[in-house]
Amino acid sequence: MKALLSFAPFFVRRGGAFLMALGLAVVTLAAGAGLLGVSGWFLTGAALTSAGVAFNLFGPSALVRGLSFVRIVSRYGEKLVGHDATLRLLADLRGWQFRRLIPRVPLDGRTWRRGDLVSRLTADIDALDTVFLSALGPIATALAVGAAMIVVLAWCLPGAGLVYGLGFFGAALGLPAVLIVAARTPGETAMAASADLRMAVLDGIEGHTDLRALGATGWAREGFTAASARLQRARTRQATIGALGNALVQALAGVTLVGLLWIGLEAHHAGSLDGPVLVGLLLASLGSFEIALSIVRSAGRLGAAQAAARRVKALSATAPAVQDVANPLPLPCGNSVSFENVCFGYDPRRPVLEDLSLHVASGERIALIGSSGSGKSTILSLLLRLADTKAGTVRVAGENIADVAQDELHRRVALLSQDTPVFLGTIRDNLLIGKPDADTPECWRALTAARLDAFVRGLPEGLDTWLGEAGRTLSAGQARRLCLARVLLSSASVIALDEPTSGLDPETERDFMSDLSVATGGRTVLLATHAGLAPGMVDRVYRLEAGRLALSES
Amino acid sequence: METAAAKGSGDRDRAQARWMMGLWRLVRVLAAVSVAAPLISGALLVVQAYLLAHVLHGAIVGGEARDALLPSILAIAGLIGARSLLAFAGERAGVRAAEAVKSKLRKALFGRLVGEDPTWTASRSSGALANMIVDQVEALEGFFARYMPALVAAAILPLAFAITVLPVEPVVGLLFLVTAPLIPVFMALVGWGAEAASRNHVQAMARLSGLFADRLRGIVTLKLFGRAEAEAARVEAASDELRRRTLGVLKVAFLSSAVLEFFAALGVAGVALYVGLTYLGLIDFRSTALTLQAGLFCLLMAPEVYSPLRQLAVHYHDRAAAKAAIAEMAVLFETLPDLTTLEAPAVAVPSGGAAAAMPLTVNDLTVKTPDGRSLVLDEAGFTIAPGEHVAILGESGIGKSTLLEAIARLRTCDGDIKLGAWDLRDLDESDLRSRVAFLGQRPRLFQGSIADNIRLGRRDASDDEVRAAAEKAQVSVFANVLEHGLETVIGDGGVGLSGGEAHRVALARIFLRDPGLLLLDEPTAHLDATTEARVITAIREFAAGRTLIVATHSLKVASAMDRVFRIVHGKVVPVRSTARKDAA
Repeated sequence: MKALLSFAPFFVRRGGAFLMALGLAVVTLAAGAGLLGVSGWFLTGAALTSAGVAFNLFGPSALVRGLSFVRIVSRYGEKLVGHDATLRLLADLRGWQFRRLIPRVPLDGRTWRRGDLVSRLTADIDALDTVFLSALGPIATALAVGAAMIVVLAWCLPGAGLVYGLGFFGAALGLPAVLIVAARTPGETAMAASADLRMAVLDGIEGHTDLRALGATGWAREGFTAASARLQRARTRQATIGALGNALVQALAGVTLVGLLWIGLEAHHAGSLDGPVLVGLLLASLGSFEIALSIVRSAGRLGAAQAAARRVKALSATAPAVQDVANPLPLPCGNSVSFENVCFGYDPRRPVLEDLSLHVASGERIALIGSSGSGKSTILSLLLRLADTKAGTVRVAGENIADVAQDELHRRVALLSQDTPVFLGTIRDNLLIGKPDADTPECWRALTAARLDAFVRGLPEGLDTWLGEAGRTLSAGQARRLCLARVLLSSASVIALDEPTSGLDPETERDFMSDLSVATGGRTVLLATHAGLAPGMVDRVYRLEAGRLALSES
Repeated sequence: METAAAKGSGDRDRAQARWMMGLWRLVRVLAAVSVAAPLISGALLVVQAYLLAHVLHGAIVGGEARDALLPSILAIAGLIGARSLLAFAGERAGVRAAEAVKSKLRKALFGRLVGEDPTWTASRSSGALANMIVDQVEALEGFFARYMPALVAAAILPLAFAITVLPVEPVVGLLFLVTAPLIPVFMALVGWGAEAASRNHVQAMARLSGLFADRLRGIVTLKLFGRAEAEAARVEAASDELRRRTLGVLKVAFLSSAVLEFFAALGVAGVALYVGLTYLGLIDFRSTALTLQAGLFCLLMAPEVYSPLRQLAVHYHDRAAAKAAIAEMAVLFETLPDLTTLEAPAVAVPSGGAAAAMPLTVNDLTVKTPDGRSLVLDEAGFTIAPGEHVAILGESGIGKSTLLEAIARLRTCDGDIKLGAWDLRDLDESDLRSRVAFLGQRPRLFQGSIADNIRLGRRDASDDEVRAAAEKAQVSVFANVLEHGLETVIGDGGVGLSGGEAHRVALARIFLRDPGLLLLDEPTAHLDATTEARVITAIREFAAGRTLIVATHSLKVASAMDRVFRIVHGKVVPVRSTARKDAA
């Protein structure tokens, strides 16, 4: 419940609409119970009136017609207003969640699986919509209408208020509370199983070629079937609890009816309660139970919503690995980069960098070489502050980057990482991520620099060609060059390139390397590469070995 | 023209509806229980209402004491208990039926997916596919667990109730008889609109899911370019778009429940007014006097006549959502899976049996780009002797990967590919996979330990064999310094490992196999010179006595091969070996 409560500000933001939905729900329920009650009272009263005796016909019949009309209109309005407010809430929550993630990435990939992350952002937040529509709203409605019924009953029939109160609130509040607790574990299991299932599907899709080539599709199917069976079991348990709830509401409504009948018949026999009033009260109480049914029906799902709230909260509460200082300093002019006695490692047993120092003057181009896994990528990610050093200082333009706002640093320094993706969208969309206001000639210049212009010109739709998911209609080399073009298009004056030519053939690679000085046009360049470097391509070459840098002679 | 199209879509809808009913038949017994329970409960309800009216009549008109009415009151309590039990049994049976159907369907869809060509999945959004199998299939639950029982109850109970009321009070019975069947007509009218709207909703959901997956994959890149905020706004806009679509669905869907509400309120109000006026003598259609018991029975039955229809309306959007999901499924998967046939046995790869080196003959091999507009390979042909090692060079995007995938039967193509005496097309899948090993350019690592990932090469491999393979593929070099060594758990997509490291894990898989033909796509990409040399040595050792084709940019790899080919204008042409040696 605590996790759910932390989302209260989102509800308050849409408070007006939620209140209106609540008001309409109360009117709907009251009109329904009232309609049955007045009808029973009128009918019995009429039966007891011998023909010809004056009976005020106008009042009851107008009431019956009025209540039925009110109920139709308010029910429709309640549903529409409530759903609209809830869906707005979902959009709020999605944007909020995405923004919360931004400072927290890159997340530790071993803990947060991407399939899991996707399910968090869509399914979990969707699950939160049950909170108002099927829980908070109906519960508040039940409180209002139930209290009114108790007052009426207590006034007309001593003892009846207590019986009805126990039955009605037992069904509308007590039972759902029990069900929520009972449904918590299956709800969490179902959420986790659903995320596992999604992961299994994504593994099957993205690893399809490997699975096929290894003859391991059977293995993938086994894994999928197991996840699916887990989901089936959890959902069945959830639904069984829900079914039990529905049956118990029916039973409680019945017990309340019998109890009221029992007390009412005695009072009627003793002459303290009119026949018409007895019938009216019985029917009105019966009608009010419809709300309990809708509360209980959603109690099973409420458990899942609570689990979702906890997970959404957990993800958004992880501390950002890197934080801006309270009063960031402005980044001075200049494009120099220096590492001073930098140490870094994720695992103390496997230190990546030890006491590393490096200075690159403004406009210089240097290359980092070394075996894969030696930490070249780490040097570049430290420069972008994707992680903080364990010891030592990284400076850009002479300023410690830990004292500078990340936004400003990222405007100055751009990175082509090894795992940077091609986004769903057009080639132009992909380029504009580097520089949103770039015009068409700029885009073409970037493509030319990345040696992708000939290919794009050959496409019928040119820059506006749509790229499939993960840019799979491009070859690995083409995708790489598109990402490179994106970096070259950006207005950053320091550029970090992590294996920019992987996936390129030697000729293209050679051409690219020899073009480097032109393409990067006077910007400071840090290049991590395996490619052979001809003299003059870069100013200096450093070899990274066992966490230390050495100037390479070659 | 338009009517023909409409007819086509009508046929398709009917076929899809038939297919859904076919799913229902897979779980006959549970389905029968879920449908029968509300009907029996309805019959008991009539008795319950009759008894309640009887008790009230006895007390109010007859002036009977409470104790005299006790048997009837106890009977009412018993009926209520029995109906509660029936409600539980019926609902549970419906849920179990729906869950069984969903599991079967998911299994069939996933089986279909992995059974297709990898190009088939590559041409679809993985987010949309995952959304279909995980979320859209979920939309069938409401249809089977709630809509179907509600539909049967709505078809039978209102008429049955009306007929029961008919002898008690003919006018009220007639009112029920006339209004109840009218309701489904109105509902169908509003339901049609709800269905079209719901289809849009499903599409919007799938697109949203795809957009999320995509933007999340690249969230670091977006952050570094300062575009994350803009993309957050885009995500919000997409959610808002979804809201508008959903609201469109609901506006119409709620209309059908408003129609129901109208009739239900009308029924109660109508009965109350008619019976009341009859008592007052203002209306007189009857030959005999109407008792209070009969009047109350009519009033008690009035909401119940419309209640099954109301239940149906509550679940009507379940049908629309299920149908929309099915329609989307039919588009995404081209055909709906047939769950009634026995599923094909899983492909088992024989672990033993040394495969002999295989000769390869390729003739007239033609492969088009995915859009079918241009040719990647154009009637290419070449022959490789058994045990020969060859390299294929060429610019990136020229078709090296395509060629290897075609030979590995991972991509559809035209032309003849012969492995030894067999035509590639005729080879049994398990036979093919045991003879041919393939390492792609972007191998996927799965959630699990490094050892688990290597063992995918041969699932019965011993720990020692896995270790040996890891050693050869230079996996041990980086794994040994990890706290848990080969048992280190890696994330999906190989998070935690660098590109080169992930590639070596995938190579280790190959070393566990015993193929006659090895197809390696850029096995040394991302590797430094030292590691590359070691990996080349390991590959050459492993490939001794096997046929090997390597697509590569690396001249070092190429120089270690017997022959070198190049792809030029869609043809595979040999490169003179002397020229190659000079280049190296």
